Amino acid sequence: MNKTQTNSTGFSLSSDRVSVIILLIPALIFCTIFIFIPAFWAIVGSFYSYGMTSLNDWKWVGFDNYIKASQDEFFWIALKNNFIIVFASIVLQVGVGTILAAILDRGIKYGKVIFRTIIFTPMVISSVAVSIIWLIIYDPNVGILNSILKAIGLPTPSMGWLGDPDISIWMIMIVAGWQNTGFMMVLILAGLQGVSKEVYDAAEIDGATGVKAFWYITLPMIRNILIVAILITTIGAFKVFEFVYVLTQGGPSNATQVLGTYIYLQAFNLLHMGYANALSVVLLIIALILGWFQLKASRRA
Amino acid sequence: MSKFKLANIFAYGFVTLFSIYVLLPIIVMILTTFKTRREIFLEPLGLPGQFNFSSFEKALSIGLGGFIFNSFLVSLFSVILIVIIAGMAAYVLARIDFRINRYVYLLIVAGFAIPPAAVLVPLYATVSNLGLLNSIYGVVMPLTAFGIPFTVILFYAFFLDFPKEVEEAATIDGCSKMQIFFRIIIPLSGPAIASAAIFQTVWIWNEFLLALIMLTSDEVKTLPLGLMKLRGEWSSDWPSIMAGLTIAILPVLIVFLIFQKYFVRSLAGLGK
Repeated sequence: MNKTQTNSTGFSLSSDRVSVIILLIPALIFCTIFIFIPAFWAIVGSFYSYGMTSLNDWKWVGFDNYIKASQDEFFWIALKNNFIIVFASIVLQVGVGTILAAILDRGIKYGKVIFRTIIFTPMVISSVAVSIIWLIIYDPNVGILNSILKAIGLPTPSMGWLGDPDISIWMIMIVAGWQNTGFMMVLILAGLQGVSKEVYDAAEIDGATGVKAFWYITLPMIRNILIVAILITTIGAFKVFEFVYVLTQGGPSNATQVLGTYIYLQAFNLLHMGYANALSVVLLIIALILGWFQLKASRRA
Repeated sequence: MSKFKLANIFAYGFVTLFSIYVLLPIIVMILTTFKTRREIFLEPLGLPGQFNFSSFEKALSIGLGGFIFNSFLVSLFSVILIVIIAGMAAYVLARIDFRINRYVYLLIVAGFAIPPAAVLVPLYATVSNLGLLNSIYGVVMPLTAFGIPFTVILFYAFFLDFPKEVEEAATIDGCSKMQIFFRIIIPLSGPAIASAAIFQTVWIWNEFLLALIMLTSDEVKTLPLGLMKLRGEWSSDWPSIMAGLTIAILPVLIVFLIFQKYFVRSLAGLGK
């Protein structure tokens, strides 16, 4: 009796183990072949010099690629721009998204669905299409931005909106905000709708209404969602590629270069594969640090 | 004026201004398609003199239909693979007490954090070695890999809340974990599958970087690459470029407006 039981448990366990492995393995194979092994080779390849046509003809150069990066002005500009985009996105997308969500949640009575639908719409349009639309808006000759400013008698930038290195990165942020703020709004709105009405009733009795109630009661209650929103935005800011590639190609004179576009430029235009790998490793390290924060945040949530 | 009214004006004013900011570029795009090249130079702010459809014909003649079809295939194949593969893995992570689960989860989170640009050169070499350059599978495979981690995390949260009783009953009836997953869990996971599929479709339909390096011949290019081609070939023919964009965007916009409730719900679920 006892023996049969052990046998049957033993049998079901091993067949379970087989099916568990079969269920897990496809995900692991895909991620290993296309993410983890390439990540490993990016690290190895960063110590070599090789080109596109000599993908298998590697020359060991030690830390040369990293030394080159540390002396490469454009690498530092790209890194700085990624950080500018992180902070600007948190303010513009998460900040404005929170205000919009709060207004749609309790600030207005009419038109909630219409406003939400409109503001969320850019999310489903491809970033390439979005960027091309904004190219015509910013265009010095046919763009409506210049036309509007001229019509009301304001000056327009002489080098064009995207041609002036002092403002071009901010013009890119306006486009990024146009596309992503609605997403943040919807994410945060879902959190706000989880705050029960009783909480607000109780707050009202204590004299907290409107903005005050929002600041002292609502914000702390949606803290976890805000952390998730900030993390998604930060991770997204390091993935930025299309806006820069389409709007400015990293120019004028590399002023709007970001890590994504600079890696692409080094690898596929200049064919400095080893150097591109070293730049990738920098991005990889930042990404893994952010991933670690993500893990911490999800455990807390 | 009372304080309450002021707050109201601010609230409506803010969402209205933001909505104008969102709508204006879309209106510019649509109006430009009907204008002539002369009109956009002389009066950028004016309305089109007459409804002129020739730019649509020109945009279609460059093969936009083919780019849309390629994007459709890439999205379809990738999303099906992602949902099935990620669903299987998430089920094991959430519902089965397996020794290596902890490490698998760590790997998944790491996979989620790593962007394609961080592995760009070796990924290109991998796809090249697999002989998949200039084939839609050359983007389907890596996009599937990059879509899996996020979807596992999404499904994981969903499966954790799943009632355990159904599975226990099935186990007593002698179902294996595999059978439980395909016959019981999948049919009951409609909302989670819809969320994951919608999110991944939006992302893959619009993906640009991997398509840019893997697909160089016109027959296999996806829609974002096709739009870049329009832009490159007709640098100042804005009416035709905007007509191309309108054709590319409109179907997605219509689908979004019809199903917007589900879109919003699927994305809203991310914060949970």
